[in-house]
Amino acid sequence: MRTGLKAAIAALGLFAMTTAASASEWTPPGPVKLMIAFAAGGGADTQARLIAEELEARTGWSFIPEEATGKGGLTMLASLKDQPADGTVIGMAVTEALGYNMRSADMGLTPSDFTGLTTTAGFQMGIVARADKGWTTFSDAVAAAKSDGALRFGVMSPKLDDIAYLLGRAQGIDLNIVSLKGGKEVLDAIVAGDVDLGFVAGIQSKGVAAGDLVNLASGLSAPLAQTPEAPTLADLGVTPFNADGYFVFVAPAGVPQDARDALARAIAEIVNDETTKAGGLVKKAFGGATTIMGAELDALMAADYESAAALMEAASQ
Amino acid sequence: MGMLDHAWLGVLAVFQGPAAFSLFSLPISFTLLLVFAGFVLGIVVGATPGLAGPMAMAISLPVLISIFGYSSDALLPVMGFLIGVMKGATIGGAVPAILFNTPGTPDAFMTTLDGHPMARAGKAGKALRVAHFSSVTGDTFSDIVLVLCAPFLALLVEAYLDLPEKTALLILSLSFIAAVVGGSPGKGLISTGLGLLAVYVGSGEDFYPRLSMGTETLSRGFSVTTAVLGVLILGAVFEGMQETFHDHRRQPGATTHALTGDQVLRFADIRRLLPYIGQSAVIGTLIGALPGIGSTLAATLGYTLGRTRHQKHQPAGAPGFGDGVPEGVAATEAANSAVSGANLIPVLSLGIPGNAAAVFLILAADSIGGFTPGPSVFRVPSEGINPELVVAFGLFTAMFLANALNWTLGGLFMRSMGVMTRAPKHILLPIVLLLTLTAIYVQEPRMEAILFALAFGFLGYFMRKAGISPLPFVIAFILGGTLEQTARQAFAATGGDPFFLFASPIAAFFMLAAVAVIVFTARKPVT
Repeated sequence: MRTGLKAAIAALGLFAMTTAASASEWTPPGPVKLMIAFAAGGGADTQARLIAEELEARTGWSFIPEEATGKGGLTMLASLKDQPADGTVIGMAVTEALGYNMRSADMGLTPSDFTGLTTTAGFQMGIVARADKGWTTFSDAVAAAKSDGALRFGVMSPKLDDIAYLLGRAQGIDLNIVSLKGGKEVLDAIVAGDVDLGFVAGIQSKGVAAGDLVNLASGLSAPLAQTPEAPTLADLGVTPFNADGYFVFVAPAGVPQDARDALARAIAEIVNDETTKAGGLVKKAFGGATTIMGAELDALMAADYESAAALMEAASQ
Repeated sequence: MGMLDHAWLGVLAVFQGPAAFSLFSLPISFTLLLVFAGFVLGIVVGATPGLAGPMAMAISLPVLISIFGYSSDALLPVMGFLIGVMKGATIGGAVPAILFNTPGTPDAFMTTLDGHPMARAGKAGKALRVAHFSSVTGDTFSDIVLVLCAPFLALLVEAYLDLPEKTALLILSLSFIAAVVGGSPGKGLISTGLGLLAVYVGSGEDFYPRLSMGTETLSRGFSVTTAVLGVLILGAVFEGMQETFHDHRRQPGATTHALTGDQVLRFADIRRLLPYIGQSAVIGTLIGALPGIGSTLAATLGYTLGRTRHQKHQPAGAPGFGDGVPEGVAATEAANSAVSGANLIPVLSLGIPGNAAAVFLILAADSIGGFTPGPSVFRVPSEGINPELVVAFGLFTAMFLANALNWTLGGLFMRSMGVMTRAPKHILLPIVLLLTLTAIYVQEPRMEAILFALAFGFLGYFMRKAGISPLPFVIAFILGGTLEQTARQAFAATGGDPFFLFASPIAAFFMLAAVAVIVFTARKPVT
């Protein structure tokens, strides 16, 4: 009887210890599948893989990166939605996928189908042109369009397509808006002369610093870090819309709070640490990490989804 | 940094990349090791009837990617391996053709015509040496042309072709490939059309999935791996299995012939053969530079022109082509090997693959990322480096490395490969089937991928049975996405001009040529 009691107490003690440990220190019950909504080898894909690599090294969890590209991130989100909500499947996309793209696709997905973990970096979205065009400000480009006719404007998503359209309308110029796949393609097209100017989300920084490219305007609600004197979209008459956007990690809706916190914290720590490869990359391309999480991220995702309708409405007029 | 600095960085990237191990305290990079490994595998595969270089490339690609990952460091080792396979397979194919009258690769068929009679006359050693020498000479010549032409052509394209012209050029390439690959342009167009149909499932710019028939399964479309490996590799395996099933009762035993007399390739021989090799190398290179025309046509042309030359220069009554003259072997092997280097000219400068081997190089670049074959590769930035240009020169280095291996060890390996002819097909084919399915699952771990691949395999099988070449299908599948995007961009950039394909003289010329090439090849030859 006594031994039985002792054993029971010991077992109870052990049980209490393990539950206490799991409450403070969530660990995934198995390998974590990381679904990446970007093409292999691009800047975003590299960022995701470097974060996964560093997470493995720091936490000992194992990650399986997987490409799920297409439809502006919706391919990934549609397949993420039905995955187990226990922290073993997460995805990386841009906030625009959960906002404009989700709204415009109207395929039964809403941001509430997902749990936002954390953003990693905000875009440094500039309107970029080649320096040898001789334009130093956006008004030079406007003048060129007024004297020589339509300009070719490269964009990388339908949301930017709408914004570029509104920009042309606000400035009274004709823009032939060319959709390209990703910022790298827009930049390539600008350099090759296939388009005259276009939206680039951060990878222009090296070329701008070298004097090959110029940031004519900021696509954001705030001025660009690299070219603070360039006008914002609001200055150019495109209100209240902007191309603010972030890389974001998400999980299916209903992920337990401790898993959400643990994953978000671990990712944020890495991108905020500039000595890690992932942190270094974020610093180089985006001027540093922006880690929005928790209720603030929920609000951001909901607001993006709501404002998308207004943008579509404005651009359809 | 200029072009030459990039070239030097490319060479360094191959030799000083991440080291696999040290040999006498000299670090051996992964790229070097893999070029060598690929080269050995290529010779083995080339020498085995029923297997071909593209099969080995297809199976090793996903495996290599799972080992080396998706970083830009993976590009050179993985593509180096594929280049090694490509180079090795070109010389391996001659072995069974000469020794046993069974071509290891389709383009080695012409080699049997003179190679095997030489072997029957006890000159197998000499025939193999002639084949090796001509093959490697043709290949090296072709590579030199590639290195000199690709950057130049790319810069030309960048400077003169705008979006509408690029669209028209893609249409021209597809129509050209449809017209020249396989028996008839009609069959080529069917193959191209099926390829375009398949690639447009689930893709497109709209958020709503296209052609998915409302199903979740089709809404993600078919991945390149399933389509290409299915049609090209599984199709060939199914066909091979059927042939093995039919043939196994009447398989003649392979007989070997004893060697008699001088087997060494003398300097006098080389001098006599060089005009044939030179002529064929030029033919092979010219044909290789056009997308879609394979090495089989190059071999046939090289052989035919070599025969004409031989008849003119030989006294009457001397043994001619077909009687076992080394000139016949030389003319064929130089021509079919010269195709492989020049084939990469359209790949690297335009992003348009011309043959199955090039398809897998594009696939490798596509899956790893960070290197997009096309004109932007050869752009020299005013400051800093263009990493894609470094990779391009790294690839050139890998090719010359493989050539060096070909010159030094190739002959030795090649002459020891006679045994591969006895590799039993009924065991090899199931192994290839299993490896291919595994490779597909490694690349795309979902069950639908396997089912799609099998379906594409049956499609490839029936296409072969109907005499329709699967190559236009594969090339159309690879170019379809680019074609659609470029066309949409050109349409948008011209402000929605519906006649953008005919608005500029260059684009209009390309479109005219695209129609003309079909019309002229469709006309029956006058006999």
